Amino acid sequence: MFPKLDPLLHSELRLAVMSILAGVESADFTYIRTQTGATAGNLSVQIEKLDAAGYITVEKGFKGRKPCTTCRITPAGQEAFGKYVEALKEYLSSGAS
Amino acid sequence: MEQNNNLTAQQSLQIISETFNNSRKGILRNSAKYFMLWGALLTVTSLVVYLLWHFTGKPQWNFLWFAMPAIGYPAAALLGRSDAAVPQNEVSKMLSSVWGVFGAFAVTLSAIAVALVPMNVSLIIVILFGLAECVSGALLKNWPITICGFLLGIGGAVVAMLVKSEAQLLIFTLAGILLLVTGFIMKLQYK
Repeated sequence: MFPKLDPLLHSELRLAVMSILAGVESADFTYIRTQTGATAGNLSVQIEKLDAAGYITVEKGFKGRKPCTTCRITPAGQEAFGKYVEALKEYLSSGAS
Repeated sequence: MEQNNNLTAQQSLQIISETFNNSRKGILRNSAKYFMLWGALLTVTSLVVYLLWHFTGKPQWNFLWFAMPAIGYPAAALLGRSDAAVPQNEVSKMLSSVWGVFGAFAVTLSAIAVALVPMNVSLIIVILFGLAECVSGALLKNWPITICGFLLGIGGAVVAMLVKSEAQLLIFTLAGILLLVTGFIMKLQYK
């Protein structure tokens, strides 16, 4: 029996956001938007969902005079992301897609 | 990239690996400019000090070395301001730490050699430089950088012991060129 894929992560944009945050200490909103090519509105919505699930933390502040939103993956987010990747590997090794 | 919740397992893995790799490449490509900045500064400073010492016969021109961190650190800070949005990953953080530690040792030892205990600073700094370059190559998984760092550290130490006065400075010109080349390699490697 295959493990169920986390529905929160099984979405193109949220998965991309988590993949970026898994490799860095923190990243700001502009960087994530550039990397994913998503619209600001859509990205905000998906980031809010990940934040609400406790997978990331979102910190609003200022860099100089410019407002800056910094996102950081949480230990719960890292665990969920790790489990998601493991589940994907199981799917793939079984030949399912 | 917009919302798509009907991903296959392959698509999901592809998104993860592509996003992760693109982000990693961008971060390391961004680090390359710091290697180029310090490489250019080291090349120019060593050549200027060498030429001035050579033509005037005055070793006091070595005090110009202290201009290098005085120019380099503010310039690096300015460069950093332009890429404020680019985060750091483990490799870029370790590279910063390695070269930060190297800089601290080089400046402090030079100051001690000038003010307190005379020593062969070129010998010590070239060994530290070779070590830092070797570690950078290992972190970047780039064998040419690792080998060049090793050769420069060992070869430079031998030259620093055999060659006296201003000719020693040419080791640092070579070291500067090596830093520049490292920056170029990183730009190409993480295109």
